[in-house]
Amino acid sequence: MSSLLALLSKDLLLEWRERARSLSVLLFAVVTLLLFSFALGPDVETLREATPGVLVLALLLSSTLALNESFRLEREDRALEGLVMRPVSLTALFYAKASANALLLTFLGPVVVALAVVFYSLEIDVATMTRLVGLWCLGAAGLAAPGTLYAAMTSRLKSQDVALPLLLFPLVVPVLLASVKAMGLVLTGDAMNQLRSWLTLLLAFDIIYWSVCGLLFRFAVEEGE
Amino acid sequence: MNIRKLLVLAGLGLAAVGTYFGLFVAPPERHMGDVQRIMYVHVPSAWIAMLLYTLAFGFAIALLWSGRQKWDDLMVGAIEVGVVLNALLLVQGSLWGRATWGVWWDWDVRLTTSLVMAILFAGVLVLRRMAPNEERRSQWSAVATVVAFIDVPLVYFCVRWWRSLHQIQSSPDTVDPAMVLPLRLNSFGLLFLALAWMLWRAAIERSSRRASEVPLPTRVAIEESAHA
Amino acid sequence: MAVWLKGPNGSGKTTLLRMLATLSTPSCGTLEIFGLDVGRQREAIRHGVSLVSHSLYLYPGLTARETLVLWGRLGGVVLEPESVVAALDVVGLADVGDRRVGGFSAGMRKRLALARARIESPRLLLLDEPFSALDDSGCRLVQSWVREFVEQGGTVMLASHDPERATPICDWRVDLAAGQIVGLDRGAGR
Repeated sequence: MSSLLALLSKDLLLEWRERARSLSVLLFAVVTLLLFSFALGPDVETLREATPGVLVLALLLSSTLALNESFRLEREDRALEGLVMRPVSLTALFYAKASANALLLTFLGPVVVALAVVFYSLEIDVATMTRLVGLWCLGAAGLAAPGTLYAAMTSRLKSQDVALPLLLFPLVVPVLLASVKAMGLVLTGDAMNQLRSWLTLLLAFDIIYWSVCGLLFRFAVEEGE
Repeated sequence: MNIRKLLVLAGLGLAAVGTYFGLFVAPPERHMGDVQRIMYVHVPSAWIAMLLYTLAFGFAIALLWSGRQKWDDLMVGAIEVGVVLNALLLVQGSLWGRATWGVWWDWDVRLTTSLVMAILFAGVLVLRRMAPNEERRSQWSAVATVVAFIDVPLVYFCVRWWRSLHQIQSSPDTVDPAMVLPLRLNSFGLLFLALAWMLWRAAIERSSRRASEVPLPTRVAIEESAHA
Repeated sequence: MAVWLKGPNGSGKTTLLRMLATLSTPSCGTLEIFGLDVGRQREAIRHGVSLVSHSLYLYPGLTARETLVLWGRLGGVVLEPESVVAALDVVGLADVGDRRVGGFSAGMRKRLALARARIESPRLLLLDEPFSALDDSGCRLVQSWVREFVEQGGTVMLASHDPERATPICDWRVDLAAGQIVGLDRGAGR
């Protein structure tokens, strides 16, 4: 547990020291929002309807950037191998990395949601925005666990930029569907009282991914090369 | 005669009889007519593809558990044959959908799930090609297989909640027995063929692995010169 | 004692060191370190073994001091600030302890990796080409540093292509070729 905290604080410290990197992920998410308005707009009504999907896709696309980056530092000087050589459990390593990634993606949430409100003229109150951000966070958590597992593998490859999305995107279809649905219900009103079930589903996915990927991580990372 | 040849013969025999019954003996379906006969390959493809993925999952667990490479051979066999059947399944489903629903594709739960499933397991094969060495290759494929397999039911339930339009699965009780027979025959035929194919693929994988383990002649030369 | 692993490129020096550091598993046979089996008691072994390899496992974003503290925490040790300063002082990095590793020269990075290797007082120290990237004073530092470690009762195995520097500090010389031990000698220098 203490090594998990040590690793997590290391990851967060490094992320803070390299703010430019984290910021570029945020910028990328914002660019995605813009591009969707060009692809779907300029009709505000269409944009409003598409908001949940656009938000989730912005999250998904920026997540691959963040995930790839998170392992670049570990591979650069083979720092990961140094960590593996310490008497640290690989499971702790996984949960530290996945938490750091989830946190980074979470930080994007408020900014991206706020910008979506501005760009797409959403007429929503603060409570609704908070719920959107909450759903964003659940989605981010659902992406971070399998994303970290796969990024650990693909970061060893030259073609990591292609490999990660190829493997990750089909895998996280359930998370995407559940987040889009739940965000849609939050935005358009929940007449049939379905939000709770989608929320439960999303939570269930998060729990499944975090436990399964945590179990498998020690097979994904080499003890040595 | 080895087991693979036996499986092929039995599979071909069963499939031939089953196809004959399916095309010429079984009655046409009331609403869909002769088009429905595609069911006699479609449903077995789905069943056997699922079965192969399940086998691959079992092999992956066995590999991670024991670290023995023979499970990797079987796993790659199961996944490759599974992906091929899965692709056929998608094509058949699309044809059938065009004939009965009037569209090539529909975001129905089983169609969507089998598409995602095909991409997931094809992804495992891609990852295999990219892996830097043999040990990583088997471990990575096993990890990806386990994750993909666990993901399939999640996708299924999620899409089902999202929407559904596929015809309700029929149980043998409600179907004309003349329809059940070719379905069963074809299923077992395809099962035997797929198993044989899987074993063959595993044998190829094993041979190529053994071949790569044989030390190259140059290495012998270095060793001799060092001793000299 | 100190053992010098000598041999041409590709003779298995690095592989041997990596196996001793529990980073690689032997493809056949068994390997015991401190009487512990490498396959099953890896974690216990890792507390007592330190490797300085070609890759230095450094994060450019961390300072020298943070690097050492993190390494200690991952081994379950909370380092006193004084001991961190002392460790940096030994390798001549005390003045730059709060600067980021990203700005260090190759030699400084090597020194930091050496300081880190001894932070947890290992029993077995594995050095892969310890003299590369170091200037003359750095090499002399490594030499005295190795001897001091050995006199405190530690064991050093170092792989090097530099007979002038390795010979005087090593008690034994092991000649490797194509993965085989082809010679074993008392070190010439001692």
